[in-house]
Amino acid sequence: MDMGILAVGIMLACAAIGGAVGNAILFSKYIEGITRQPEAQPTLFGQTLLLFAIVELMPIAALGISLYLLFVRGV
Amino acid sequence: MELTPKVEFLGLTFDLTVMISSLLTALLVFCFAYFAARGSSRVPHRMQALLEMLLDLMRGITKMGFEDRRFADKSLVFTLTLFLYILFANQIGVMLMVSSSEPVPSLGLTENLMQEANAHGVSWLKSPTADINVPIAIAIAIALFGHILGMAYNTKAYFKGFLNPLHIIEDITRPMTHAIRLWANIFAGEIFINLLLSGGLSLGLFKGGIALGIPLIIWLGFSLFVGAVQAYVFVLLANVYTGQKLYSVH
Repeated sequence: MDMGILAVGIMLACAAIGGAVGNAILFSKYIEGITRQPEAQPTLFGQTLLLFAIVELMPIAALGISLYLLFVRGV
Repeated sequence: MELTPKVEFLGLTFDLTVMISSLLTALLVFCFAYFAARGSSRVPHRMQALLEMLLDLMRGITKMGFEDRRFADKSLVFTLTLFLYILFANQIGVMLMVSSSEPVPSLGLTENLMQEANAHGVSWLKSPTADINVPIAIAIAIALFGHILGMAYNTKAYFKGFLNPLHIIEDITRPMTHAIRLWANIFAGEIFINLLLSGGLSLGLFKGGIALGIPLIIWLGFSLFVGAVQAYVFVLLANVYTGQKLYSVH
């Protein structure tokens, strides 16, 4: 069993789970905000995209480091 | 992952790909700004309208970062330039990727290097922000600029801010996450594009085209969107971090 490939697999799995749960919470709050006040939809949309980029930081960092290990360092 | 040609000079290693694509990005930004601002009139032509929309966007960004209008106006041109540079730099890796498959000894592409490279050969053009050094350099420069600005304009609050240990930790993690957010998004996107391309090549024209062509098209569209959003977030956070060094009263 190659420990390097296993490590990359675990990193990618955790990044996927974390990203999915975090984004689900963010976008569900966005839709709830639209339900409460439909006129606020353009304002909330811009802020939601901005916060999406901030929430996605850690999963994307895990993705970047795992792909770096897999392809550049040849683990 | 593609190899890039490297040149040694005075003991330092220079990556030719990053140098070429950075120069190309700067040239593109200059051409866009020059042709958009030329012949400006009251009734704007198309590129001038685009530049004015971008300036409105930047004005919103600087207003979020600095409460004082003086600093916000001073930061407007820098914000616009940085936004355009990072936007064009992110999209170069999506639209233009140049690689060579034949060895060219005079440029450093020897036979050994060619045998190490995979199906794509050696790449000459990729996103400058996909190399780890470029976002780190910009983030460190912005952090240093914030420190110097805080020291010059708000000396007492700046030095009193060091008593709080959380501030010292923030001074280390903020430039790091600032750079890693931009780099990891663009790098992961490029790796995935290379993966889909080389997978399509190895599967053959028909099967590879059907199976991996449609995800490739979808991923390229998503990469355009991600490049624009990451440029916006980078510039916004640059303004916010610099502004917080000025008004550090907590």
